[in-house]
Amino acid sequence: MITPSGLAETLLWGVANGCIYILLATGLSIIFGVMKLVNFAHGQLLMLGAYIAFTTSVVLGLNAYVAILFAMVGVAIIGFVVERLTFRKVLGTEKLNEIFVSLGLIYIFENVAVLLWGNKSAQISSSIPGILSLAGISISYDRLAAMGIVAVILLSIVLLMKKTKIGLAMQATSQKSDVAKLMGINVEKVYVFTFALGAALAGAAGALYGIIFPFSPTLGALPTIKAFAIIILGGLGSIPGAVVGGLLYGIAETTAGYLLGGIWSDAIAFVLLIFVLVIKPTGLFGGKGD
Amino acid sequence: MTNMARYTKSFSLRLLCSKQFIFVIVGLVFIAVLPLIIDSEYVISEVLAPMLIFAIYASSWNLLACSGQGSLGHAAFLGIGGFTSALLAIKIGVPPLLGLFFGGLFSAAIGFLIGLTCVRLKAWFLGMVTFGFAVIALTLVSQFDSVIGGIMGFRTPLIVPRGIFFYYFTFAMAAISVLIIYLIMKSKLGLAFKAIRENELEAKMTGINTAKYRLVAFVLSTFFAGLAGGLYAQYIRYIDVSIFSPHFSFLPLMMAVIGGLGTISGPLIGSVIIVSIDAYLPRIDPLMQGFVGSLFPAVSNVGPPIRMMLLGIILLLVVIFAPKGIHSIIDRAYVYLMNKRAAVRQ
Repeated sequence: MITPSGLAETLLWGVANGCIYILLATGLSIIFGVMKLVNFAHGQLLMLGAYIAFTTSVVLGLNAYVAILFAMVGVAIIGFVVERLTFRKVLGTEKLNEIFVSLGLIYIFENVAVLLWGNKSAQISSSIPGILSLAGISISYDRLAAMGIVAVILLSIVLLMKKTKIGLAMQATSQKSDVAKLMGINVEKVYVFTFALGAALAGAAGALYGIIFPFSPTLGALPTIKAFAIIILGGLGSIPGAVVGGLLYGIAETTAGYLLGGIWSDAIAFVLLIFVLVIKPTGLFGGKGD
Repeated sequence: MTNMARYTKSFSLRLLCSKQFIFVIVGLVFIAVLPLIIDSEYVISEVLAPMLIFAIYASSWNLLACSGQGSLGHAAFLGIGGFTSALLAIKIGVPPLLGLFFGGLFSAAIGFLIGLTCVRLKAWFLGMVTFGFAVIALTLVSQFDSVIGGIMGFRTPLIVPRGIFFYYFTFAMAAISVLIIYLIMKSKLGLAFKAIRENELEAKMTGINTAKYRLVAFVLSTFFAGLAGGLYAQYIRYIDVSIFSPHFSFLPLMMAVIGGLGTISGPLIGSVIIVSIDAYLPRIDPLMQGFVGSLFPAVSNVGPPIRMMLLGIILLLVVIFAPKGIHSIIDRAYVYLMNKRAAVRQ
């Protein structure tokens, strides 16, 4: 049955889900903008973030929302190591090599997760369970909290990019890495920082995802394609684009699930991807595509 | 004699005299007599036959990569080929052998449609679109389960009985497919693919219609992927939606890259390596469980995840340290040995 309040609820839930995707997509978008690198293993970083938050909240008995910080730091360290050991070696060679490296990483991340946490699905137990009901629309406190946390993280990212030295260095590198090098910017350092930052965002997204949805080691592939659809929708390398794209995508996903059935909610990412690529390849906010 | 005929003649003459040609003949004879030497039902039908099938599949992926297009969703075409050939045989009684080709053709037709949207895309967009297509193929097949019956799966009607007959059948199919792919890659078409891969802009400037050639590569590649799908369904004797899973999309990529991207022998070498890993490494699972099992209490058998992880590590090592694959290592070793022998003679 399609009812007005059901539809409104679907929209609200879509916005909440969209917030998590925004975080993931922003990480992917920053990495792409600065390094011109597409990390296909980004969804696996989300999965690792979810598991790190899960383990810290279980083992240390921490509040699930404090565990998000652990997830960010943990996944940032993984990102740091991965950039140093793998992506740095193939950066600037053939584009296909970067895809191959990401695929190798997908296999490694997924199976390390299986070894450490088993092949069952898990969920982080929330510290603020319960549902807020208002005028026939109900939403869990977790989803509301997720919206707030994403807003805070995004604001700090924007501040970091605009106000700090490393943020400016990142912008310079994204515009023209050769010239940035000439201006005395250590581009390699910027790269590794960017990758770790993008990974940390994926880690935070993972922790939030793990509080709202159950997850398993094989979760990774779909979030990557969703994040990819979002940054294409919003325009490559643009943070406002990722925000708008993420919200639109989140709404499209839950609405498709509500109107057409759950099985379509995942397929919508692909339909959207094709649609945008055919109609407007530069996205809603994109300048020129690279 | 026309130019074309002269070209063909000199080409075939060069081919006949070359060392490569002798290698190929020796290789073919070797594959043909292999089952007579080994004489083990298990090895013939569970190791050698899948090697041949995956050789076709990996070669099809490699053909696409030759034009600079890396598909991350080839499983969609493997699955379409498999389902089409099986369903045609079951539902309307098409002879299975004919169904195999129809599977390839239908896969190529879908490949044409997907290719239309893909040909103008950069490497990573293409990867994502193809990957997404595999996801949507899985969704569609599950959605129309009442017609297709893919979720539970069903038995596929066999063309030839299992064992030695099936081995020679796949051998013939693999030999013909690889030969055709070889001829394509050596032809003007293959040259255009390579030009596009090296530098699309320059290729365009020299008058190559890059979109057209990339679409041709897509259609050819998806045809062979569909063919391999039909054969794979024959090998498993069963087909269900799991054929669309990402692992099947990534396998041909790993085979081609590990063996040697853009070469004929690369996908074949990769197929031998990865199918061997799949077939033989499970034997040390109990041993591994005994050694490191206690470290990972979360899983009952540490074998499969460690094996999959190993695949990832091999892929990383090859891409970083030997970007031209094992093919290039063998080449170098061969040259080294030949030089050494020459030195000894002197």
